Amino acid sequence: MRTGLFLLLAALMPGPALAANQVALDNHVFVERVSTDAEGKQRILLEEPKVVVPGDRLVFVLNYRNAGAQPADKFVVTNPMPAAVRFADAGDTRPFVSVDGGKQWGLLSDLSVPMEGGERRAAQPADVTHIRWAFQTPIPVGGTGKLMFRGVVK
Amino acid sequence: MTSKLTYMGAIGLTALSSVAAAPAFAAGTTAGTTITNTATVDYQVGGVAQGQQSASNNFTVDRKINVLVEEVMDLTTTVVPGQANAVTTFQLTNMSNETLDFALTATQIVGGTASHGGTDSFNVNNIRIYRDNISSGAIGSWDAGDTLITGYVDELVVDTAIRLFVVADIPAGLANNAVAGVTLRATAREGGGIGTQGAAITETTGANTAGKDTVFADITAGAAGDAARDGSHSDNDDYTVQTATLAVTKTSRIISDPVNATTNPKLIPGAVIEYCIAVANTGSAAATSVVITDPVPGQLTFNAGSILLGGTVTSGTCDFNGATGGSYAAPNVSGTIASIAAGTASTLVFRATVN
Repeated sequence: MRTGLFLLLAALMPGPALAANQVALDNHVFVERVSTDAEGKQRILLEEPKVVVPGDRLVFVLNYRNAGAQPADKFVVTNPMPAAVRFADAGDTRPFVSVDGGKQWGLLSDLSVPMEGGERRAAQPADVTHIRWAFQTPIPVGGTGKLMFRGVVK
Repeated sequence: MTSKLTYMGAIGLTALSSVAAAPAFAAGTTAGTTITNTATVDYQVGGVAQGQQSASNNFTVDRKINVLVEEVMDLTTTVVPGQANAVTTFQLTNMSNETLDFALTATQIVGGTASHGGTDSFNVNNIRIYRDNISSGAIGSWDAGDTLITGYVDELVVDTAIRLFVVADIPAGLANNAVAGVTLRATAREGGGIGTQGAAITETTGANTAGKDTVFADITAGAAGDAARDGSHSDNDDYTVQTATLAVTKTSRIISDPVNATTNPKLIPGAVIEYCIAVANTGSAAATSVVITDPVPGQLTFNAGSILLGGTVTSGTCDFNGATGGSYAAPNVSGTIASIAAGTASTLVFRATVN
């Protein structure tokens, strides 16, 4: 339950001032730290990324809002992976990903990468170069939402 | 808002399961690197594509100090008393995300249990540290072409392992199975100055800064006296003396006398006596070039050509056998046995006549 609470706090963090565009987007990153209390229960804390060293787990949170007067359709959020971050997972947001620099897109489980000798192997999280969420339904006026994914500092 | 994409309730569970599977990392992204993440949104309003929106954030990767000192092979170094340049082998790995200097110290354990068993019972002399020369000479083992370390390793780059040798001289006069433990400790120092040892490194404490902080990430303590997360690491190795322990026994039998010949001979003048000098090695190492010398008593006359060398002992009893050899220079019978292996015995046998 505490996990849920901290995530909720993260979601309530004020983002940068939203532009006067139809759609507003802001982008946060947190360091995910796991601590074990005296009863052996694990707590997950999301901290500001001040002390970050290789191997740390990061949570990227994208908040969006339709600030316009009309529904926003064909809503697509694209996030290239930073070069020094390895993709881990995207929670249950089921994004399309690319493992070839944004040329082809699909669910990670449907993608493959070429190996030497012409064979292909199933794509792994570490192969992901881009993440994309494509919404099937328009975002209504005033509609908000949040997307997230996890990565590890290489 | 109906999009299922916004449902975030299950994140906690996935986080718990994925943390457990976090892989081990070596050095990783260089300290001071800025990581920028940018997301963009494309959308349409009323069927018309609108201007792309994007949002970014960035942060700086801090400095992770992690050093590993490991003894190589996990074996004691067997030495003999008086041996010069006895070598123990270690490996030093810079698992930090920055090039660093490493101060090195080799110390001796005093008392206590050594890393490969046995109690530390002596100290070695002239202890030195060498860095393996990986371009010439014996690569991976110590030779005279390796570099003598004077206090520190200069500018060890990220994710690099080097082989280090702790070399020492063994005192003479030590008993079999005597043990001397040594500890090699490496402490991270600031890199950047080629040819000079960098300053000591301290962990960033208190409030974090937006810039490059320092985190000691050596989460496992090394040898005794080395704490976790102190920017240094150490390991133990030891020398074990393996030497020969020799014991000499002398036995004799009567072969014949002039009256009874070989049937129940007695020790009368003219009787022939056969002597056996047995040398048993109860140590852990072979004894080589064992020289046996025995003066023949004045009441006896040595029988020329009767010396047998390298005979056997069965259940502590001399077998009076061996191969012809040795020499006689009055009054001494002598012979050299090339090698007596640990746990075995060898003999010198000769005959003499009672005057």
